[in-house]
Amino acid sequence: MANQAEVSPRKRKAVEDELEMEASSVAAMTTMNMNQPAAEESEPILSNPSDGAGTSGSAEIWPGEYEWSCCFRDDEIMQQQSAIREEAAKVPYVGDKDPLSALEAEFESGDPILKEKIRLLGEQYAALRRTRGDGNCFFRSFMFAYLEHILVTKDADEVERITRKVIQCRLTLQSLGYTEFTYEDFFNIFMEQLESVMTSMSIEELLSRSRDQCISDYVVMFFRFVTSGEIRKRAEFFEPFIAGLTNTSVDQFCKSSVEPMGEECDHVHIIAMTDALGVSIRVVYLDRSSCDKGELAVNHHDFIPTAASSVGSSSSSSASGNITEPFITLLYRPGHYDILYRR
Amino acid sequence: MTSSSAPSRKALSKIACNRLQKELVEWQVSPPAGFKHKITDNLQRWIIEFVGASGTLYAEETYQLQVDFPEHYPMEAPQVVFIPPAPLHPHIYSNGHICLDILYDSWSPAMTVSSICISILSMLSSSTEKQRPADNDRYIKNCRNGRSPKETRWWFHDDKV
Repeated sequence: MANQAEVSPRKRKAVEDELEMEASSVAAMTTMNMNQPAAEESEPILSNPSDGAGTSGSAEIWPGEYEWSCCFRDDEIMQQQSAIREEAAKVPYVGDKDPLSALEAEFESGDPILKEKIRLLGEQYAALRRTRGDGNCFFRSFMFAYLEHILVTKDADEVERITRKVIQCRLTLQSLGYTEFTYEDFFNIFMEQLESVMTSMSIEELLSRSRDQCISDYVVMFFRFVTSGEIRKRAEFFEPFIAGLTNTSVDQFCKSSVEPMGEECDHVHIIAMTDALGVSIRVVYLDRSSCDKGELAVNHHDFIPTAASSVGSSSSSSASGNITEPFITLLYRPGHYDILYRR
Repeated sequence: MTSSSAPSRKALSKIACNRLQKELVEWQVSPPAGFKHKITDNLQRWIIEFVGASGTLYAEETYQLQVDFPEHYPMEAPQVVFIPPAPLHPHIYSNGHICLDILYDSWSPAMTVSSICISILSMLSSSTEKQRPADNDRYIKNCRNGRSPKETRWWFHDDKV
């Protein structure tokens, strides 16, 4: 399972607080906004589904990023997380393409199971591209891998197909009551990138745009909107998964774990995004798990979007045979996603 | 009188400026009930006046919010503070700083000034006692040199008030 999320500063809160949180009062209000945008006290049309509530609390004094002394009860965690954040910031949003041996080097003195799995990985995959571990790595990896695929293949049918999907996603947000100006810039920037990779953009240019916060974060946020819209649209389908994961309502989940930047992805996000955009993703798991039967294998899971209809059961790698292999492969190590390249 | 020093901030990016203009137009067409944006020529700082909801502890009391937008709004949250006198509330400090998750970690570009206003009103309306946070004095002392609330490490634990 991919739910051992990246350590983001917010995770602490999510784990220690929001699990305890009784979200019903908050949810009740926001749900109201969602279903009847104009009903309550001439509620303005400005309210997105996630609006109108929040969690308040007491301030703990945290004087500046580098002074730890005033911190309380969780200071060790905070310190560790800040260190992780600083460490993460050293890595570009999207790294260079490295030979798979770079991964070997990382684990040189490590666990024998991992070493063997990396060797097996090398039989199928030639290279990897790292992304920054800032809580957005799944979306960022997907962004680059997808756009790079279009850049290389110039697959006009695929571009036409996804363009239709993006229009649907827009309509989804609209019908959920999102205010257009809150999402349109993000949609536009994604579409601009898509058009550019289809026409003139070089791989160097794609890389440089993917490292440019103003473009890269907007595309990541586009995927967050798409994901949130899909989860809300199919709330009944996603509700049990979300309840199992976080014990919060669908609305609260979208508001606190999908829409804010830096909130890491779980299976729920991936299923929703792949369904919404109709793009398959293979996730290869590099972890210490092994089966007793002796032969070690690197597990993977294919997220295959549900057929055309957006309602129904989720994807599974065991789905029927006529589905083509995903052209996007991501490497999952507990807490992080990078991009893998086939041989 | 403002509650925080005006941080020397960078001008709005083009995309931030466009977004804010759209928010402003939308606000003018349909402001959140009870809120009034005081017209200035400064798009980057909004002063918003509102009246506490009737039937709550803050009924008929008028307060002012100061909203400052960063260069990369809406990717970054705006800075929102009460212009003193701030309402007496367990999560509002006397310097106007507000402890509310959506203003910090839980901010998302899906939110708007309007949705912030609704959240703040809802936070006030659900309050059952008019009092300052327990650590008010300590916090204020720490903020004396005009620190922004966005530099505070907030601890959100209370979804009831």
